[in-house]
Amino acid sequence: MKKIIITLNILASLSCIALVTKYIAVPYIAEVVYREDYKKLVFACDNVMRDHLIAKNRVNVDKSEDSIKQLHSAEVGLLTCDDYDKLRKRMMILGVNEENLAMIGIEAIEEKSNDVRNFVKTHEIRY
Amino acid sequence: MKSAIKYFFIPVLMGVTSPVWSIESAETKVIKQQITASGFKPAADLYRNPDENLAPIGLIFFESNKGLSLNGNISCRTCHQDKFGSADGIPNAAAIGGGDGKTMVGPDRLLNGAKQLPRNTLAFWGRGAKGFDVFFWDGRVDFSLKKPLSQFGSKVPANDALLTAVHLPVVEIREMLDEDKFVKDHKTESVDKSKEVYNAIAKRLIKVEPEASQNLAKALNKNVDQLEYIDFARAIAAFIRSEFRIKTSKLEKFIQGKEDFSEAEIKGARVFYGKGACSTCHNGPHFSDFKFYTVPFPQLGFGKNGFGVDYGRYNATFNPKDLYKFRTAPLYNVEKTAPYGHSGSVATIQEAIVAHYDPLSLVQTDKLSQFDRYELSKRLTFSDSTTRVNYLTPEEVNQLTAFLKTLSF
Repeated sequence: MKKIIITLNILASLSCIALVTKYIAVPYIAEVVYREDYKKLVFACDNVMRDHLIAKNRVNVDKSEDSIKQLHSAEVGLLTCDDYDKLRKRMMILGVNEENLAMIGIEAIEEKSNDVRNFVKTHEIRY
Repeated sequence: MKSAIKYFFIPVLMGVTSPVWSIESAETKVIKQQITASGFKPAADLYRNPDENLAPIGLIFFESNKGLSLNGNISCRTCHQDKFGSADGIPNAAAIGGGDGKTMVGPDRLLNGAKQLPRNTLAFWGRGAKGFDVFFWDGRVDFSLKKPLSQFGSKVPANDALLTAVHLPVVEIREMLDEDKFVKDHKTESVDKSKEVYNAIAKRLIKVEPEASQNLAKALNKNVDQLEYIDFARAIAAFIRSEFRIKTSKLEKFIQGKEDFSEAEIKGARVFYGKGACSTCHNGPHFSDFKFYTVPFPQLGFGKNGFGVDYGRYNATFNPKDLYKFRTAPLYNVEKTAPYGHSGSVATIQEAIVAHYDPLSLVQTDKLSQFDRYELSKRLTFSDSTTRVNYLTPEEVNQLTAFLKTLSF
């Protein structure tokens, strides 16, 4: 009987460790490890998407051989977003949830918020 | 003998020659002609306020931090302060989350963790006056066109640009609205969904400002529970028109011959209407042609398009020809509304002038990131101002600044 209880305790402990590892440790480590790469790819993908939209709009406004060539280049450029998608999926498989990913994305987009605070401090804008 | 000269001959001499003294110099005449030809209108002629009787009630809603913001603590007044020339005195607006909208304003709000908006808060002078029908940096409310442009498409809430513009900040997430469950559920491009948000704001205003709401309902011959957001917007617009109306400036007195310009102001006017070619865009009754141009100001903050990018007018029209273009800044009270530029990246009028013709002097290109440098080059490629504005000496920049200060009241 005692052996069974010990075995059950060990199993329970292992389960707990497994759960903590799966739902807390691995996502946390994945977030830490991939955070900067993810931010870079958010930027890179956003950049090519913006270029692509501009190229598309250019064709709408001024359809010419040149604008069509630019659009084709911009379409190929979208491959960058494939890298972003892959990393995003890998992070999600490792347990990083969508809300955290969105937060990292916003952090990347708004990284320059601190420049504004520094500007205010530097210029001592006080009235 | 000396006193005889002093008290007799000089006054006589002055009297004899007085017609010569009172004749306007050719320079002054030319300047006055140029000011008039560029569309100057006396302040009194610009005022229009169809709902003037609602203005005192509008003040209450304009300052209602807990009523106007559905789930935050911020009002129009938070970012449109008298002490900052009707703006907020910081480069990028500090919006929701910076504490009490009444006391935490300007730099304090920014440093208190407020969520930043990507652009500089615009001053309110002359908004809704005659000839002022293009709103926001990118003109996303533009009633100067044959078909009015706004995010409401064909369902514009009113045939008045200011009234339409008053509809925007209250439903802008991060600006006056925090993203809670209700907001998430209604966050779509659909005008009908946004109507529900406006209804919720109207109900909140009735609850938070019961007395002012009663007065508004009375003035509009309605029951309080019939009030809609547009009714509150009418009152707010009436207040804005009244409070921030254009008043008589030194320039107006100069035109009327009631006051003279100093030497620096005259020389500054010569630059403005001449060498600087400023008046080719800064013309009309508000010293703006309300068109869109690229002036390669340094970019500060994360920008409307993120990562330090702001495509300006393009965001409203999606026409690549509009990339990096912003509305010509109206100039009344410009000396009170620092910092300048769409992202508030320069602190003085002098720097703002320099940005038009020598933008590279305002950035340390070796300290920019590679991407920021690339973006700057693009802005320079699109630049309209560097091809228009002549090179100005530092002295001329100061003279121009002196002239611009004659637009204050």
